[in-house]
Amino acid sequence: MRRVWMLLLTALLTLALAACGGGSKGGNDGGSGGGGTQSSGGGNAGGASGSSSGSSDSGSKDPEPVTLRMAWWGSQPRHDYTLQVIEMYQQKYPHVKIEPEYASFDDYWKKLAPQAAANDLPDIIQMDISYLSQYGGKGQLEELTPYLGTIINIDHISENAISGGKLGDQLYGFNIGVNTIQFQYDPELIKKLGVDKPDDNWTWDDYYALAGKAKEAGLYFDSGLRPEVFFGYYLRTKGQHLYSPDGTSLGYDDDQLFIDFFAPLAKLAQDGDTPTPDVKAQVKGLEDDFLVKGQQVGIWQWTNQYVGLQQVANRPLEMAHMPGPNREQGLYLKPSMYFSISKNSKHKEEAAKFIDFWVNDIEANKLIKGDRGVPVNSQVIEAVKPTLDPALIKVFDYVAWAQQNSSPMDPPDPNGAAEIIALFKEVTEAMDFGRLSPEDAAKRFREEASAILARNK
Amino acid sequence: MSMRFAAWRSQLTGYAFISPFLLGFLIFTAFPVAASFYLSFTDYDLFSAPSWVGLEQYQTMFSGDPKFWRSLKVTFIYVFVGVPLRLTFALMVALLLNRASRAIGLYRTVFYLPSIIGGSVAVSIMWRNLYGDDGVINLALNLVGFESVRWFADPLAALWMLITLSVWQFGSSMLIFLAGLKNIPPSLYEAASVDGANPPQRFFRITMPLLTPVILFNTIMQTIAAFMTFIPAYIISKGEGGPLDGTLLYSLYLFRRAFVFYDMGYASAMAWILLMIVALLTALVFATSKYWVFYETKED
Amino acid sequence: MAGKRLRWAAWHLLAAGGAFLMVYPVIWLFMSSFKKSELIFVTAGSLIPDPWIWDNYATGWKGIGGLHFGIFIRNSLVLVVLATIGAVLSSALVAFGFARLKFKGNKFWFAVMMLTLMLPFEVTLVPQYILFSQLGWLNSIKPIVVPAYFGAPFFIFLMIQFIRSIPAELDEAATIDGCGKFRLFWRIIVPLIMPAMATASIFSFYWRWEDLLGPLLYLNRPSMYPVSMALKMYLDAETISNWGAMFAMSVVSLIPVLVVFFLFQRQIVEGISTTGLKG
Repeated sequence: MRRVWMLLLTALLTLALAACGGGSKGGNDGGSGGGGTQSSGGGNAGGASGSSSGSSDSGSKDPEPVTLRMAWWGSQPRHDYTLQVIEMYQQKYPHVKIEPEYASFDDYWKKLAPQAAANDLPDIIQMDISYLSQYGGKGQLEELTPYLGTIINIDHISENAISGGKLGDQLYGFNIGVNTIQFQYDPELIKKLGVDKPDDNWTWDDYYALAGKAKEAGLYFDSGLRPEVFFGYYLRTKGQHLYSPDGTSLGYDDDQLFIDFFAPLAKLAQDGDTPTPDVKAQVKGLEDDFLVKGQQVGIWQWTNQYVGLQQVANRPLEMAHMPGPNREQGLYLKPSMYFSISKNSKHKEEAAKFIDFWVNDIEANKLIKGDRGVPVNSQVIEAVKPTLDPALIKVFDYVAWAQQNSSPMDPPDPNGAAEIIALFKEVTEAMDFGRLSPEDAAKRFREEASAILARNK
Repeated sequence: MSMRFAAWRSQLTGYAFISPFLLGFLIFTAFPVAASFYLSFTDYDLFSAPSWVGLEQYQTMFSGDPKFWRSLKVTFIYVFVGVPLRLTFALMVALLLNRASRAIGLYRTVFYLPSIIGGSVAVSIMWRNLYGDDGVINLALNLVGFESVRWFADPLAALWMLITLSVWQFGSSMLIFLAGLKNIPPSLYEAASVDGANPPQRFFRITMPLLTPVILFNTIMQTIAAFMTFIPAYIISKGEGGPLDGTLLYSLYLFRRAFVFYDMGYASAMAWILLMIVALLTALVFATSKYWVFYETKED
Repeated sequence: MAGKRLRWAAWHLLAAGGAFLMVYPVIWLFMSSFKKSELIFVTAGSLIPDPWIWDNYATGWKGIGGLHFGIFIRNSLVLVVLATIGAVLSSALVAFGFARLKFKGNKFWFAVMMLTLMLPFEVTLVPQYILFSQLGWLNSIKPIVVPAYFGAPFFIFLMIQFIRSIPAELDEAATIDGCGKFRLFWRIIVPLIMPAMATASIFSFYWRWEDLLGPLLYLNRPSMYPVSMALKMYLDAETISNWGAMFAMSVVSLIPVLVVFFLFQRQIVEGISTTGLKG
């Protein structure tokens, strides 16, 4: 009899071992439940001040300790200064501890979704326009309107900037930096193509002609244009949009537009004026980038990427406007990214306070230096600008110019945008390799994109 | 102690000892397999509850998803080119090394080494760089007079990268063949030599037939393992399966649908199709095995 | 006479040549880690670094995102050790049950177990993920470590083969002496199957060390990443500043595996051989 019990005990022991075999090594294990320890009494509902080091609000009673989880994507430099800003905040508000979670852009979304499913999103989430619909629409994000003016000071932030985070009437993400698109190039290299700079009002045809000369000069002209961004711009200049207003279908009917935009680009790749996808796939990092190595004239990207590029390239670069015609209709200011608060957060007000600090605190922004886009607070811009490198000042000025020379942006990308971006990559790759004609690509894109978007009905 | 009680007790004892496996099987295998079957008839994105859609996922897979077919084709090429190549090298080298010599240990180690490290991220990264436009493989090609190949520009070339990585790891199969070879009594060879058989005859009449059980085992296990290849495809294509889906092995595509696009219903359907394919193949191999596998009847 | 010498030489040439080709990629990786980053691909043809630098290791060790590489190694070790202990012990238990105990269903469950060896992981991947998500185990090592404590079919099989070679008389003698089954298992069988357990431990070690899928799905914080994820992070980084560093860390990540392999290769080889032959 005893032996049987011994055996059962063994089995149970094994089970017990299994149950507590996990343990939380390797740092804080916040797997189950939110990251909060004890919840604070909602902090001080007065908001931090709008300028630098406001007086600390801790009155006679010490606020209870709070732990916030904060997630963002980016590269090493961004992680570094963000951690510094967090440190700054923690110094100012010692009762708050912020646990950082960060990753590359691709990994970030892969991690976020399961957290959402487990109702375990970080308190403060960096959010992108192509995912705002998904997370906001599914009730994962806190509606921020009640915090405006109360905890998050918006005295010097334009309504336009804020509305960029709205889905319909609901505000799900707070704009933390503004961006626009442009062409950044090396003024010395472009001379090899016979011009000093692209004309301020150049057209797409001008671009094709100029770029077509690159191969002979032994250079690449650019590294391609991100389809979802720049095709979107192109459609806007033609009075169309990439997505329909309700996000259930494409926003343009004429496939000729697709062909008109992508065919010349594919030709540039096939002619060797821009690198083919396999060459791009083997670029071994920013230092191996063709522009950095002086083998490429310029690059189409967002304004907030200008400074990083110039730093690595280690030589002065210039900015050129997007090509027309109808540039003003096409151009827009986009929130480069948002901070959202998760619906399951147990410290929403503390999280909002941090957001307020991020967008309004001048000292913090001197560290941030517009890496996530030009600040939305006009006072912050004024205060921070003098401390910035000339390159950054250029960025700020450019965005200010764009503010006057653009039109309102499209609503946030609908659900399924991520799949559409992957689809874009597929068809453009095929076109660049010459394996898919632009006509067929246009058809295929429409077919598959429509299927993806139809799921939103 | 009554007989019945003793019998009952030994039942309990037996089950107690294998209970870890039983429990694990139920929780981590049986239940998931059943759940996967159920999910394949739903639309599930992890956020909201699964919604029943009947055969829609399977319909989409077969008629509305060219990527599925491309992935299947790529995987089939990978398996049906890679596994035979792998086993061939394994057998050849096993034959080469099947002799009593002190150097054998060293050689065996060297040939087996890739198997040990081949599944690692480090090796996949290294492999990716070997096949770069300016990589060692191209240099070697140039050396013998061939032009460099743009391995990342062509889907088949890129797939070849994966195939060679798999073949490079033939060491584990080689060891099994070596063990099989050692099991062949030398007396058979001696008797054959006495009868005047030459080496090729000895190989085809003695070695091969006696190796067939091992070949069978290796074929099945390697085939199944090949269908499960993930890390090389993921790392070499940086998670995307490119260029043009050339490295989009089935497991990678399934992974993407499940964990990049959160299309878990579809991914489950994919998983079941794979299961059926593997089961079918295995059954086929077993069924035909009685025609070519030689089981020696042992008298002991 | 001369023919034999010649054949011996030819054989060695062939074997050595093949061996060199097999190992060349690894040598290349190793040598490249001592080259300056910008020279690695330019001088891909020449194995010898010129100049030979050690910096890559220092730079690589600094890691990414403020996490130095030692952290990743520690994470890998934790995962591997916890999982291996669980896998080996539970497998031994189960193996004893199958190999030595008579009970109805023994053959049936054994067959089931062997079948699971052939089940593609893709089928259980998604539901397991959902299960762990419901349990709240996401973003922790539990999904990776806990299942190991339920026996690993491959190891169970390995150990069964081993136990079968232990004469049954030993069991009988022990039972007559009053040993219960568990004591029999723990005091007699386990010590005798140490070699099989060692082999299983070795396999478990380097399989887990190299595993990427589990960590990819279940470990979301860089501070929890094992070495495999860390290397992937190096590859992903938008601004890889140093390929030499990445190669250096790749080498570092392979060292434990190689060390274990060289120390225990005989057991590994024997292990594989016994599973290959259904004795």
